[in-house]
Amino acid sequence: MKNISLLSVPLLLILGCSDLDESLSETTKSQNKSFASTYEPMQSQPILYKSANIYDGLGGEFLDYDLLIADGKIVEMGQSLAQSGINVIDATGQWITPGIIDIHSHMGVYSAPGVSTSSDGNEATSPVTAEVWAEHSIWTQDPQFALALKGGVTSFHVLPGSANLFGGRGATFKNISKNTIQAMKFPNAPHSLKMACGENPKRVYGNRRQSPATRMGNMAGYRSAWIDAADYRDGMQDTDSDKHPKRDLAMDTLVGVLDGEILIQNHCYRAEEMAMMVELSKEFDYKITTFHHAVEAYKIADLLADEGICAAMWADWWGFKHEAYDMVPANIAIIDQARNGTGCAIVHSDDEVGIQHLNQEAAKAMAAGNRAGFDISKAHAMRWITSNPAKAAGVIEATGSIEPGKDADIVLWTHNPFSVYARAQQVLVDGALAFDMNDPKAQPVTDFDLGIIQPQTIRAQ
Amino acid sequence: MKYLFLSLFLLFSLNAFTQSLLLKGGMVHSGNGEGAQIQDILITGNTISRVGNNLAINGTTEVIELNGLPVTPGLISPMSNLGIVEINALDVTRDDESDVLKAGFSIFNAFNPHSTGIPWNRSNGVTSAITSPGSSSFPLFGLASYFVLDGSLEIKGLKDIAMFGRMGSSYGSRAETLSVLESLLELGQKASAMPIEEVLEMRLADQLELQAQDILALKRLVDDNLPFVLETNRAVDILQAIALKKKYGLNLVLASVEEAPLVINQLKASKIPVIIDPMDNIPDSFDELGSSLMLGKVLDEAGIKIMFSTQRSHNYHLMRQGSGNAVAYGMSYETAIQGMTQTVAETFNLGARGTIAQGKIADIVVWNADPLEPSSFPEFVFIAGQAQDLSSRATRLTERYTNKENKPSAYKH
Repeated sequence: MKNISLLSVPLLLILGCSDLDESLSETTKSQNKSFASTYEPMQSQPILYKSANIYDGLGGEFLDYDLLIADGKIVEMGQSLAQSGINVIDATGQWITPGIIDIHSHMGVYSAPGVSTSSDGNEATSPVTAEVWAEHSIWTQDPQFALALKGGVTSFHVLPGSANLFGGRGATFKNISKNTIQAMKFPNAPHSLKMACGENPKRVYGNRRQSPATRMGNMAGYRSAWIDAADYRDGMQDTDSDKHPKRDLAMDTLVGVLDGEILIQNHCYRAEEMAMMVELSKEFDYKITTFHHAVEAYKIADLLADEGICAAMWADWWGFKHEAYDMVPANIAIIDQARNGTGCAIVHSDDEVGIQHLNQEAAKAMAAGNRAGFDISKAHAMRWITSNPAKAAGVIEATGSIEPGKDADIVLWTHNPFSVYARAQQVLVDGALAFDMNDPKAQPVTDFDLGIIQPQTIRAQ
Repeated sequence: MKYLFLSLFLLFSLNAFTQSLLLKGGMVHSGNGEGAQIQDILITGNTISRVGNNLAINGTTEVIELNGLPVTPGLISPMSNLGIVEINALDVTRDDESDVLKAGFSIFNAFNPHSTGIPWNRSNGVTSAITSPGSSSFPLFGLASYFVLDGSLEIKGLKDIAMFGRMGSSYGSRAETLSVLESLLELGQKASAMPIEEVLEMRLADQLELQAQDILALKRLVDDNLPFVLETNRAVDILQAIALKKKYGLNLVLASVEEAPLVINQLKASKIPVIIDPMDNIPDSFDELGSSLMLGKVLDEAGIKIMFSTQRSHNYHLMRQGSGNAVAYGMSYETAIQGMTQTVAETFNLGARGTIAQGKIADIVVWNADPLEPSSFPEFVFIAGQAQDLSSRATRLTERYTNKENKPSAYKH
């Protein structure tokens, strides 16, 4: 028996928020209590997948391996595993991967159908709206969640839109339909703050004859807000609590970033603008976790690798706006390979169709990279849609790879997931069967889908 | 290295002394819906002169050994904005809308063969495309034209080959749209019986500020069998469109048709071809509640002729990924290939293009692997027998930024 790792590894790797608590300011700690996750996994039974081919999401490929899942966690990956009395699934010739994670989704805040009453993603009323939270907009019955699940997506990060310099907080979710937002929230996952560079903020506010109307106006707007945040934090740290400023939701968010508890997800296309944002982060001493869209990331790949910043990219979108004109399909590969392969590349969707096929988008990006002269394996490229987005969302301790003790967020594919013919046959979230292509009873149906075309039927999936 | 290799090949194949070219031993998908087989293709000048096995050649014929690589006809996009939109969000780079003309708006003279989308799509296997006006609030957007994507200033194509329009959810009632559409078609009918000037004076024409070009285009819809691509989704709207076809004898093509499975028998009986995006299973509006990934399979099983659009602009080659997904959900493989080639050529009367057969124009793509896999790419692209350069701004930028020489990127070229 050749095992990758054994049961002796601790089963529970809770995200380290409790460890972090000591270093956080009182302001930040108080925020953690409100709107916290109430997520509970669906009921599950132990499962043993036999003779599967496995990408572990960390770069490993394991052919003809077994995978044991129990209590919602990954227990063991090895060969010739046996356990009596549990559900054994013959996965010969099929592929297993970690559940796919999308670091850039607007599901729930731009729900389907895309009507004006469901347009809840951009609080485009002021360039700085760090006080809004995407999760406060989400519609739990958005039919797009179930479609993404069918594409193997087990977790996703919902961001506000990019109209504003500071668009508000994003949050991470488990892809299990529930009737409250909190019940879908990924336990202990950090919030993010959406920032946006470039054309969008300057267009939205410039058209209203207000600042920012230029890229330099964008920069001035960010800097002013960070100055306010530093001031607010200083005020909150005064030993005399009577001197504390009145609580300010926007400042709470910005201070959360300065305290390292809230992760920056920064919409930014152009190379020099990303470099400018890096400089800004140094001026005010905060960390950028990910540049999103990053069409020109390949022009500053070494800088991003040196700074430890991920880039979340499309495989091939371009031309829809000027800052998306210099697309190269090897962008993702160039980021990945920067500084001897230490770059952090992510394939993201920002799209309700793309999120269903992130495996195909990764396949295109890998092929383009290899055509440009790199030697990137499928096992390695699988990181772009699993462990790397998990890292960027701050949930890598819990999900994003197949390792003992992690959440059993798993996809069983009909074919190799880098093929267009591959479909997710089974999707597990925390070890529970959230989707089974062969069992209509194991497929989620939102309230929206129910009886909407004809009362007797379910909307086609 | 790959790009260099292709460039060398290009120089070789364009040698003036080369009269003919043999593509030997490719897995040939002819585009006509039949299964692929290993065959040789002999190209003489701009034409496919023979297709078969062990074709006799003379001493001057250049031979490329394909060793079983997949070969398809050059792909034809049935619905693009190639050559008329450079950057969507910049109006000054767009030539797809008119404030003056409606049904008679022709984009033909706006086509820019140097648009960066052309080499990009060509290098991804799209050798020609139908370019259509952008959607407008008026139910008829105007006239689409067909273009060969060789990038030449001597524009090769067919002018004003189809009308494009839309019916469905909007700010007004679809009943009004339908009624206006019928009235417009009746104006077209009247133009056969009376001078254009008199038609222009009729109340509706005057009210809608129609121009002579609009009336002439409407006349072509009802008199000349001009293909009419109507985008519509809701099941009952598809039935209305079928009725419209019957009443006015239209050469109708339906686009999008996301609820087609709900009216599949009626659609089948109407023999209307369709243009679909197989990946769009989002109920984006209340017209598309029946949207699903099974659309391609259902249409294919009904024997309906299928073509493919793509979700986003600029990447029309992604109809390969779309049709590949349709195959994953049950469409037949050869229907997918046919839908990107012969079906487009036949539906829009594009002449001797769209299949690999004797006498056809030699628009041919040789793929490194299964063309329905989005990770595959062309090894060779031929347009009218000429091997195409496969570079694009994307390859130029890639070369620049993977070049590790220690100097500013501006000096790497």
